[in-house]
Amino acid sequence: MKTSREFREGRRPEQLRDGELRVVTRGEAAVRVGALALALLAASSIAMAQSPAPFTMPVPPAAHLVAITNATILTVSHGTIPHGTIVIREGKIAAVGADVAVPAGAQVIDASGRYVMPGIIDEHSHSAIETVNEFTNVITAEVRMADVVRQDMPTLYWQLAGGVTTINVLHGSANAIGGQDAVLKLRWGLPVDSLLFEGAPLGIKFALGENPKESNFDVPGRARRYPATRMGVEEVLRDAFTRAVAYRTEWQQYEATRRTLKRGQPEPIPPRRDLQLDALVEVMDGRRLVHAHCYRADEILMLLRVAHDFGFRVASLEHVLEGYKVADEIAAAGTGASTFADFWGYKLEAYDAIPYNAALMTQHGVAVAINSDDDERARRLYQDAAKTMHYGGVSETDALKMITLNPARMLGIETKVGSIDVGKDADLAIFSGHPFAPASRVEMTLVDGRVFFDRTTAPTLEHLMQQLQEQRQHRGPGTAERGDQ
Amino acid sequence: MLAAALLAAAAPALNAQSATGLAVSARGWAIRNATIVPVTGPRIEHGTVVIRSGRIEAAGADAAPQAGDSVLDGTGLFVYPGMIDAGSRLGLTEIESVPGGEDQQELGEFNPQDAALTAVNPNSEVIPVTRSNGVTTAITSPRGGLVSGQAVLMDLLGWTPQEMAVRAPAAMVMTYPRTGGGGRFRRAQQNEADQTNRQVLALKAFLGDAKAYADIKARLAGGAPGTQKTNLAMEAMVPVMRGEEPAIFDVETAEQIRGVLALADSFALKVILRGAHEAWRLADTLAARHVPVIVGPTTTDVGPDEPYDEIFANAGVLAKAGVTVAFQTNDARDSRSLPYNAALAEAYGLSADDALKAVTINAARIFGVADRLGSIEPGKEATLIVTDGDPLDARVGPRYVFIRGELVPFNDRHTRLYEEFRARPKP
Repeated sequence: MKTSREFREGRRPEQLRDGELRVVTRGEAAVRVGALALALLAASSIAMAQSPAPFTMPVPPAAHLVAITNATILTVSHGTIPHGTIVIREGKIAAVGADVAVPAGAQVIDASGRYVMPGIIDEHSHSAIETVNEFTNVITAEVRMADVVRQDMPTLYWQLAGGVTTINVLHGSANAIGGQDAVLKLRWGLPVDSLLFEGAPLGIKFALGENPKESNFDVPGRARRYPATRMGVEEVLRDAFTRAVAYRTEWQQYEATRRTLKRGQPEPIPPRRDLQLDALVEVMDGRRLVHAHCYRADEILMLLRVAHDFGFRVASLEHVLEGYKVADEIAAAGTGASTFADFWGYKLEAYDAIPYNAALMTQHGVAVAINSDDDERARRLYQDAAKTMHYGGVSETDALKMITLNPARMLGIETKVGSIDVGKDADLAIFSGHPFAPASRVEMTLVDGRVFFDRTTAPTLEHLMQQLQEQRQHRGPGTAERGDQ
Repeated sequence: MLAAALLAAAAPALNAQSATGLAVSARGWAIRNATIVPVTGPRIEHGTVVIRSGRIEAAGADAAPQAGDSVLDGTGLFVYPGMIDAGSRLGLTEIESVPGGEDQQELGEFNPQDAALTAVNPNSEVIPVTRSNGVTTAITSPRGGLVSGQAVLMDLLGWTPQEMAVRAPAAMVMTYPRTGGGGRFRRAQQNEADQTNRQVLALKAFLGDAKAYADIKARLAGGAPGTQKTNLAMEAMVPVMRGEEPAIFDVETAEQIRGVLALADSFALKVILRGAHEAWRLADTLAARHVPVIVGPTTTDVGPDEPYDEIFANAGVLAKAGVTVAFQTNDARDSRSLPYNAALAEAYGLSADDALKAVTINAARIFGVADRLGSIEPGKEATLIVTDGDPLDARVGPRYVFIRGELVPFNDRHTRLYEEFRARPKP
């Protein structure tokens, strides 16, 4: 199983993602992985020092004028255009429609028989980062995922190959308030700073339930810490915001004193800057979006009460597997819900997860996103979104929104991405058929109009087999490549 | 929901024994005016499937029900065989993080005497959830060590594990040792290679012992004088060493597959490869040797030095070469997503026909039950699904699920919670 395999491969506990926190069950890791795996674990941590040559692809040139023609266009915002054209100028969508002329000099992508949809937005990702969790403290609002982003991880290319163009890189769920997120565009191969989504609002990760209370794992090298219950989780949240309120008041008083300072009076001494409380003040002032990992209905309501009491709105509940039980309350709070399609039962708090969650919340007026939380699942979010049509009868448009416009809203980037509309960024995924149909695959993915993934030039199995065939022919008979006859 | 309501009104009368011990209803069913997709033959438009005493009595355009048969209108619907997950953990795990419900893995390297069927919890909430999505039958396997134990092929319906069993044991589950992990850190180290070599030697030595034990047992049976102490582990290996029971080898790389083929030659084993994302490298060899491959889950990462689509495209290459391909989820809670695993392979080169066979008849063939399961043919067990469309299409699902002629209600944990909270009054 993937999770155990990753453990075997020597991923350190601080690299574990949310879902994987279930894996290293206290005291039974050795039982789970066995003697063989432990040996591999030891060996592979040595191997980390000498990674093979990194996988790279040529960086596509900037696209000044591009036209995608003859496509079935799933705009998401205004229906399907059966035989349409999209014109892209300087990375933005300049025109879209059935009767759009191809401008002279445009680079033409003929999408006959193909479907174009907005680039997929993965609202909950832990890709492209060196480390996921700052495990130490209960509140680590001061740490920033943007500081540990790596642009060269192959998974980013593979996610492009699954039609993903934007990811919200979140801190892990080991603490009640984790670190600050980084919204990235998958401009794979460009320098690391070029991946940051320009103008995306600030965000931060919260986490409730089994992970912050450390129910299923030990952190090597330290004793357990408060909180160990859901009671404690509420308390540490309230304590943090109580401190943040006092801190904000200190600064307000300082600013007020400065504003009313009379000539000759001494300059007031500013309060000591606290990077952790700065982030929480931004939350209370509505300048930093909260993305809160949660499972059970009771803890969802707890967080909504805390947010209400401290005057902020939770932008999105993450996982929110029991959201369907309190869908009205979530809708009333104006909070989004970013969930899995059908992942369940991996821990106790996921036992009441049902695949009808997305449908029920949608019916109650909650904006729903389907996310990955995982490098691998991110490659097939379109298939996960399709499942919501089966489980609970979500409409095709609503299902498409769950991986485009709805996550864009949760991240505050809906004016830039999430639908195929004039003026938006030309972030597009071109599929061989309808993205929800079983035999469809991604043929091409564009970010800002630049083709970052093109299956015709991608390192596919078919291409590798052709190479091996040519090598064999070149070497002549009797020199078969290892394993090939 | 439809079927659940229908079932509540008509509790089945249990009055006949099926071949495998589950009491089946003598009651007849007819699914009329449906598109029948037999898998082993051309599809039949506007056809009728007649079910009686747990079996398919007739399937075709002119199949006629008897008076008194319950009739389901199949207009606009499709009849497919129930899907078979050729590698799961169903019944052996409930909630992964709760150790009390975990019975997947024993201690130690060699446990051929352990039978998955023993530990299958027939009341696991995961089982109804799985069958509600059209996966009616599954291999469930122990894991861990070099010889993990005996897999069982079971229908996802029954009061006891024994009633669920279709074939037990279905195969002996083994792992061929591997050098290097996957992913980013797969470059092998010398001490790691030594460790792998020691494990290969240990596996060979074990198989050598098992062969000697089986040989002595045969000679004693043939009248040779002498005695043999009974060893339960060795007893479990006897049918494997005689080639009567297949050995599933969980592998990933071509190197492991070559190792398995060498073992198959040395010990005359009947082998089935499972996982095997590099099996495409040996596709022609595997086809020539009639070694089936159970691929998947396709929802698995591959290493950075592997083609990005290898995990999806492997199945198509194998099928084109003539290898019998089936799919596994290697999971319990995700077993219901078996068809979506196959859909990902279909998107990358597996034909629609081969994809459908891979989740139905091929698994039945691999485990020697193609005379009972895996297609819509008269005489076979009536384990079938009635759907809104292609079962590999994530947008649609089953309307009715029959297992051994029983219409199975959709009253699983998930539908129950759905109905319960759908009815919650506005706060």
